[in-house]
Amino acid sequence: MLQLDQVSVRFGGLTAVNAVSLSVGTQDVVGLVGPNGAGKTTLFNAISGLADTSSGRILLDGVDLLRRPMHQRARMGLGRTFQIPQPLHELTVRENLMVAQRFGTGAVDQRKLDEIMAFTELDGKGSRMAASALALTELKALEVAKALATNPRLLLLDEVLAGLETSGKRRFMAMLKDLHTRFGVGILIIEHDIETISKLCHRVVVLNFGRLIADGTPEAVFSDPKVIESYTGAEHA
Amino acid sequence: MKPHKAVWAGLLASYALVPLLFGSNHYLMSMVVAALVIGGVALSWALLGNLGGMVSFGHSAFFGVGAYTSAIASMKLGLPVPLSMLLGGCGAVLASVAMLPVLRLRGPYFALAILAYAHIFRILATEWKSVTGGAAGISNIPRLPDGLGVDWGSKTGNYWVILSLVMAMAFVYHRIRTSHYGLALRAMHESEDATRVVGVNSTLLKGLMLVVSAFMCGLVGAFNAHYINFLEPDYAFSSVWVTLPIVAAIFGGYRTITGPVIGAVAVYLVDQLVFKAIMPSGHQLVLGLLLVAMVMFSPDGLLSVARKLSGRHHAAA
Repeated sequence: MLQLDQVSVRFGGLTAVNAVSLSVGTQDVVGLVGPNGAGKTTLFNAISGLADTSSGRILLDGVDLLRRPMHQRARMGLGRTFQIPQPLHELTVRENLMVAQRFGTGAVDQRKLDEIMAFTELDGKGSRMAASALALTELKALEVAKALATNPRLLLLDEVLAGLETSGKRRFMAMLKDLHTRFGVGILIIEHDIETISKLCHRVVVLNFGRLIADGTPEAVFSDPKVIESYTGAEHA
Repeated sequence: MKPHKAVWAGLLASYALVPLLFGSNHYLMSMVVAALVIGGVALSWALLGNLGGMVSFGHSAFFGVGAYTSAIASMKLGLPVPLSMLLGGCGAVLASVAMLPVLRLRGPYFALAILAYAHIFRILATEWKSVTGGAAGISNIPRLPDGLGVDWGSKTGNYWVILSLVMAMAFVYHRIRTSHYGLALRAMHESEDATRVVGVNSTLLKGLMLVVSAFMCGLVGAFNAHYINFLEPDYAFSSVWVTLPIVAAIFGGYRTITGPVIGAVAVYLVDQLVFKAIMPSGHQLVLGLLLVAMVMFSPDGLLSVARKLSGRHHAAA
């Protein structure tokens, strides 16, 4: 269980994330939505350790994450993907997953890697070079596969569907739907498309100007006037 | 010829043929030993550069600390020379641990900081007179002992020892490079955050490479002290111990394991035996020009030139 308690991230005078409290269990699939610049990715960065948290607390299963460097958070069961795929350059697809598994879990289990590669439809691409020889859909799949290889209890997925064409998006959606049950992992997913979120998630939280303005079922949240206002760009009251 | 056969042939030639052919020529053998010393330092430098992604101008510190530690351990503590040499490596490791704080710096800042650090040890060797003998240096450092029926302190014995040290270092380097650590290190160059987010402790890995590199360099420095039998700060911490290896490593191809060693032997022997004969003073000028040409036309080093040439040859045949 990931718990955020009054988490703020400030860059100089700018408050990118403002006193956000939120909890996500390993049984949850939660959508994180909000307009551009709302602080969604910054919140992911704070949780995974890429950005410093200015105040508040972040706990994973009761353990304070803020005292831990990035690599330790990964080993504790926190996986994340990047919006712009960040493959391990110079390595093959299989080597990418081997590094993630070896350092994320402490041991290499080839059968588990085969399973992950089959699940993310990367089987057959194992010996390809990650950066130079993969299409965008495959790079996005590799992001998910790398995170899965660390054996996470909670996955932070940052716009994994953005930029994909229709058929790729459909295949990816099917994969994401299975992800939660197949690997027993909780999911917090950033996504712009409301339809996608409604299909995948049983709970949605909304960020606007760094603040959490809604938390509930997709139906309730997307009919909330405050949320509609933030999306239609009306003046923030 | 298959690659592993070539390796065995090369090993046989280096261990047996070289002493057999040139063993009686003391001048030539001392050139070869000196070239292998440069090769060892070049290999340790390239390990840090290739695996750790760091350009070090501080290896003269590891070389000097290794040399002084081993000389002092064998003379003042009366330890056997092989043990002293291991301690020399450990001394260089301690020196590198003192440098760990600069690992958080990147690019030119790291290079500058490690250069400054290296200078500290030279000053230490000059000023700490009671232990190091100050600027006057240490003489009569014990040579390598006899053992297993071989006089390791002879020209040929010394050659076998430094050759074996370099081989062992190359083997360790190879093992690291092909391990999971090697994979992670290779990935770190371009995507450090991406490795950290999957659990790689990148700072620790880089630190480990610095420590391994320092140990190797210190060991070579220690060998050299017992081979030359004399040390003074200006010699042991000379910038030559970092510039020549860098030239050699880049010349041979610093991203390969054999490149730095072959580069060192080629550069040093050609410089000493050919250029020096033609131009007794200022012969390093030719090396400088060759290096510039190398970096401009074949930044991957000498071996890749050879590969290209042999490829062209095969294509023509």
